[in-house]
Amino acid sequence: MSDERQQAPVPAARPREPWQTGYWGPTNPDEHPAVIAVRERFPEAFEEAVDFRDEMTIRVKREALREVVAFLRDHPELRYNHLTDLTAVDMLDLRDEPRFDVVVQLYSIPRRQRLRVKCGVNDGETVPSLVPLFAGANWLERECYDMFGIVFEGHPDLRRILLPDDWDEGHPLRKDYPLRGYRDYVQPGFERPAPRVRGSLPRPRP
Amino acid sequence: MIDFTQATPVLLSEERQITETRRELVLNMGPQHPSTHGVLRVRLTLEGETVIACDPVIGYLHRGVEKLGESHRYAQIVPWTDRTDYVAAPSNNLGYVLAVEKLCGIEAPERAQYWRMIMAELARIASHLVWLGTHALDIGALSVSLYTFRDRELILDIFEKFCGARLTTNMMEIGGFSREIPPELPGMVRDFCRYFPKAIREYEDLLTENPIWLARTKGVGIVEPEVAINYSLTGACLRGSGVNYDVRKAMPYLLYDRIDFEVPLGTHGDVYDRYLVRVEEMRQSVRIIEQCLDQVPGDGPLMAYESNYVIPPHETVMTTAEDMQRHFIWVIKGFSPPKGEVYQAIEHSKGELGYYIVSDGSPIPYRLRIRSPDFVNLQSLPYMAQGAMLADVVALIGTIDIVLGSVDR
Repeated sequence: MSDERQQAPVPAARPREPWQTGYWGPTNPDEHPAVIAVRERFPEAFEEAVDFRDEMTIRVKREALREVVAFLRDHPELRYNHLTDLTAVDMLDLRDEPRFDVVVQLYSIPRRQRLRVKCGVNDGETVPSLVPLFAGANWLERECYDMFGIVFEGHPDLRRILLPDDWDEGHPLRKDYPLRGYRDYVQPGFERPAPRVRGSLPRPRP
Repeated sequence: MIDFTQATPVLLSEERQITETRRELVLNMGPQHPSTHGVLRVRLTLEGETVIACDPVIGYLHRGVEKLGESHRYAQIVPWTDRTDYVAAPSNNLGYVLAVEKLCGIEAPERAQYWRMIMAELARIASHLVWLGTHALDIGALSVSLYTFRDRELILDIFEKFCGARLTTNMMEIGGFSREIPPELPGMVRDFCRYFPKAIREYEDLLTENPIWLARTKGVGIVEPEVAINYSLTGACLRGSGVNYDVRKAMPYLLYDRIDFEVPLGTHGDVYDRYLVRVEEMRQSVRIIEQCLDQVPGDGPLMAYESNYVIPPHETVMTTAEDMQRHFIWVIKGFSPPKGEVYQAIEHSKGELGYYIVSDGSPIPYRLRIRSPDFVNLQSLPYMAQGAMLADVVALIGTIDIVLGSVDR
């Protein structure tokens, strides 16, 4: 049987910092084995590696996302074999280009380490789908398409999942989508429909 | 014998497909079916009584919690997390407040961390009791639900004594607890821990050796360990297949590294093994709670008041000018964590519950992502159901342990 069945070794005791509730590997990007391996293997696609609160994030070009994740999964010493999460962030308020960040959280069950892989994508561009690598990416990518309108190339069944199939008001987690939606809705017991478009709530600045 | 590779996905418009060689029937199960645990709809393609394709349709309870999270201040989102998985609300609170604390770089006092563990484990037991009762009810063992809901009341009474609410508890706050622990609460939890192992034996007497239960669960819905990892399963669905991944052991949060407990693993990966794993998890939860009660300091702060990210204590707000101003700013403007992004996962009763927060330095999260365990686990239903009998689909939906509020968010 596969080696995941045995007890994985418990990591050695480490100094307990407030945010050190999990182990993400070395905090220096130049010492992190995954960063070194990806930088060596994909010199063109690798963009940067950032550490915040001991969480390592690798940013790659979107065309290479599937190759990088496959490399991290199949590498004999890295073995990031569990796709924990796949989601996106609309960076409309924070930068000009690219519009979205697709965020992939990976986890290595034998090594007990997490890693985050990101790629930027503009509206109208496609991201290579991870379904050929992980069957679990299916619904996560569908949700991503439903909420952000990001198209995953190679996905076998890319359609809406949480919203109705005939939803024609766009993708609600985009930053330019108003919180109350675009349309009026009928209020039972009132003559006028309730206004829905009031703009989004004012966003306080720090 | 049916060739499963020939099964084609069925489009929405097709209701019935009759070909020369086979007759396929599309059966709509739910969204108001009692065994779908809420508003799950499953579109089944049947040939005779055999399922050849299965497509879960979700979203009937979608309330946009992630969108709402982008318009509320950090402290205002805690009640929203109750509403995602409403049978284990304290665990959801815990995941969110741990993520915000990690983002801010603060830590709750030790006494609060022990009580958080106790409340999270009680929530795990309560959630497993709801699962066990309804799962057995679906398969046909009616009386188990009477016993499990009887014992769940004891846990809800503890929650009510602590925070006044039974279901949507909203009990944890960023930095710890704002309420003092009632003096009779440790005794209530001790009484529950003394009583509950006997109750687990009662459930096991009813089910574990029951021939009908064995016939309905053994060998049904087998998920191999490689497939379970590939489908991103977590929680008892993954451990039932024999893969040892429990966030409490693998990446300990709170003070789980001081607690001695075991992670039960299944061997066959079928419905019966997942049942055994969850029942054993309840026993281990009782063990964890007892150790927490032994180790928890009886006196001490429950809130990390020294931090600027936490609301100041009531006494100093009423007596000092600085804390009154801090309190005013905290309530009116909220607090601004540093720019950055964190992912915090906890072991929820259903699997790994992750909160991914992106902060742009303003008092409102820029992006709040809830990685709910049952949303990811539910997508393995077509894999499990293919080739199964129609009656087994009910057992398969039950074994994944879904709460539609958490699936749809």
